[in-house]
Amino acid sequence: MRSTFMGLEASKRGLFTQQTALYTTGHNIANANTEGYSRQRIIMSPTLGYPGAGLNAPMTPGHIGTGVKAESVQRVRDEFIDRQYRQETNKLGYWETKASAISQMEDVMSEPSEYGLDEAFRLFWSALQDVSANPDDTAARKVVVQRAIHLADSFNYIDTQLKQIQGNLGNEINVSVEQINSILEQIANINKEIQAVEPNGYVPNDLYDKRDLLVDQLNEYFPVSIERVPSGGNASKVAEGSYTIKLNVKDNSGSYSEIVLVDGGNYATLRALDTSGKLVDGDEDTDPDNPQLAYLPFHQLEISMGNKTQTIGQENFQEFKGKLLSLIDSFGYSTDGTNNTIQGYFPEMLQSLDKLANAFVQAFNKVHEAGYTLGKSDDSDTSVNGISFFDPVGLTAGTIKVNDALVKDPNLVAASSVQGEEGNGKWALILANLQSMPINNKESIGKIKDKDGNETTVELPDNLGLDGATFQSYYQGLIGQLGVDGQKANLLKTNTETIRLTVENNRASMSSVSLDEEMTDMIRFQQAYSANARMITVIDELLDKVINGMGRAGL
Amino acid sequence: MRVTQSMLSNNMLRNLSNSYSKIGKYQEQITTGRKFTRPSDDPVSTVKGMAFRTDLNKAEQFTRNIQTVNNWLDTTDDALDQAGTALHRIKELLVQAANDTNTSSDRTKIKEEIEQIKQQLRDIANTKVGNKYIFSGTKTLAPVFDESGMTGHINEEIVQIEVFDGIKLDVNIPGKTLFGNIDNFMSNLSNLLNDDTKTGEDISEMLGDLDQLYEEVLAARADIGARQNRVELMTNRLALHETNVTKQLSENEDVDYAKAITEMITAESIHQAALSVGAKIIQQTLVDFIR
Repeated sequence: MRSTFMGLEASKRGLFTQQTALYTTGHNIANANTEGYSRQRIIMSPTLGYPGAGLNAPMTPGHIGTGVKAESVQRVRDEFIDRQYRQETNKLGYWETKASAISQMEDVMSEPSEYGLDEAFRLFWSALQDVSANPDDTAARKVVVQRAIHLADSFNYIDTQLKQIQGNLGNEINVSVEQINSILEQIANINKEIQAVEPNGYVPNDLYDKRDLLVDQLNEYFPVSIERVPSGGNASKVAEGSYTIKLNVKDNSGSYSEIVLVDGGNYATLRALDTSGKLVDGDEDTDPDNPQLAYLPFHQLEISMGNKTQTIGQENFQEFKGKLLSLIDSFGYSTDGTNNTIQGYFPEMLQSLDKLANAFVQAFNKVHEAGYTLGKSDDSDTSVNGISFFDPVGLTAGTIKVNDALVKDPNLVAASSVQGEEGNGKWALILANLQSMPINNKESIGKIKDKDGNETTVELPDNLGLDGATFQSYYQGLIGQLGVDGQKANLLKTNTETIRLTVENNRASMSSVSLDEEMTDMIRFQQAYSANARMITVIDELLDKVINGMGRAGL
Repeated sequence: MRVTQSMLSNNMLRNLSNSYSKIGKYQEQITTGRKFTRPSDDPVSTVKGMAFRTDLNKAEQFTRNIQTVNNWLDTTDDALDQAGTALHRIKELLVQAANDTNTSSDRTKIKEEIEQIKQQLRDIANTKVGNKYIFSGTKTLAPVFDESGMTGHINEEIVQIEVFDGIKLDVNIPGKTLFGNIDNFMSNLSNLLNDDTKTGEDISEMLGDLDQLYEEVLAARADIGARQNRVELMTNRLALHETNVTKQLSENEDVDYAKAITEMITAESIHQAALSVGAKIIQQTLVDFIR
């Protein structure tokens, strides 16, 4: 026999459950614009029917339903899409950062234009041509010296600017690592909260979302994988447990391994170290053995957790991508921990420019020193061999400088191939023609004659290292390479952006809140709530009949 | 596929930023007048552009060099022309002086004029282009003659100027021998006229030497003329080369305005469309209809 108030109970459960569903709908709407939020839904299930099984169970016509309960609140999410999203985020982090670094380099080099190094070279060669046509003209000589100063300034400017950007990249490495550390700490804290909540049977969906968002952010910097550790206790079947976060690396034997970054409430602290073991940052720290070096290159990432410390170098995560690797690749790194073999985008460009400046100064000085300066017309002895045109100490892009003596006295420009011939501009022409001359070691350049008529053949110096390129074609090669690299980075950035947008949309399609859907649900739950309430009214009327309307027949 | 508001706004933002960046690109092209502004836009054209600029720069430089060459040659031609005229006048005077009916005062007058012409010829030998003595070989700061005669500093070296890659032109006529011979001849003539014992026949004998000198001047002028011809050819060739390179440079990097502006307008209208469609889609939700 069923109880008198049984129907009330079923409808009351209905009221509560629909209300819970409405609250969840409200929560979804409230979080429609929350980053990383995934929509939640109530899993409703009927409560056990009446009567339960048993020998003394009352006989009823059938198993009567007793209403509904909210089984659980779950977030709607697809782990596979998450993985895809993180992979693409990782690639995008790399290409975005690389494209931006290259674009800054392009801004500094400003080619093709009327302001770049190429133009400075052109103006210089051109001024030498003018001297060759007017070797006795002091004005033309002054112009050569001024153009040479401009050329040296252009080298200096590019060098300084590139180093400044490189410094910013170093600073960004440092900031990124701090960001990573902060994310790791936050994940560990969320892990702790989850571990405290889950054993009680609760499913903290919002904490999961927050944690997944942090994992997304982490993947922008470097690739991590996650592993779930159940919280134990009375944890729900759908509880996600605590995350163990691992960094994917390729160890030195070439196989892949993982380094634990977060384990429950414990988290690792990372430090990006340079070759001297100090933090990589944007401050200049010059290597005493190599004063040209403004920034010591990245050497390794130190990962310490508890009392365990591991280090990985650039080569350990190059198979994967990410912003951190991109910054390191641009800033410069050394795999062997010395400053002799620095790789990376900015250091390599700086080295190439140094090589160009060095070859140019050495070749130009040697040829210039062989020629003869402008003497007085009446005294051939005042025409002497040229001096170093560029300061012989300044052999890099950062230090190249025109010899002060030439600035003071442009007559010292050695334009003549014969001692004491002020109208002889042949040597200036030979200097000007270095423009289109392939720079090979010990290449014969031309002949000069002293006042006694002795002829000497002048050769280029040894070991200039341009391998038969002209100064211009070498520089064009650098710019061409820069362009190709930039184009590649931009292309891959756009591609990964597109792919990530697709994946992001897939994810949104699965997890993000649709207001229309929530509104429909709201109507659904609201109406169900009302209907439950109406049911209670009906039962109320039934009971009213029994209590107040019965046993009064014939009155 | 389930579509949500955030997807719509994501897509819209993405579309808008795409069309913005397209508009930005066209705007940059139109304002700079160049198809690309950084190497990564077009690496091949960048490197080509650098090479074209060098070519163009050389062409401009050689054009400037040719102006200098022209200066030299024209001035030399002019000077030789004057020298020729002077020699011609001497011939007239010589023929006149060779007449034995001249009185000694006639001779003195002739001699005086010859002295003047000698000085004039020295001045011609000291012709300058800018501050350069063009007949002094490569000792261009030293005059051929000073008051005491030929200076010892000059030489007979050739001055060359490059007018095209590897093509050098000789721009001077060394004047040491030519003007030296003329000057010697003039001195001999003076001495002869000073000597009253010399007859008209003696003076006539000088005519042969004079003709020889005249021939030398003519030969030098012919040489200069030939070089001027060559310079003219080179000028034409350079002008053509410069035009070609300019054209190539322009084709390589200059914006086709009609195209760029049309594309800009198209991109703008697409942007407008994206905006208005986006605004419509994003506004409407079920919320608007439930009361």
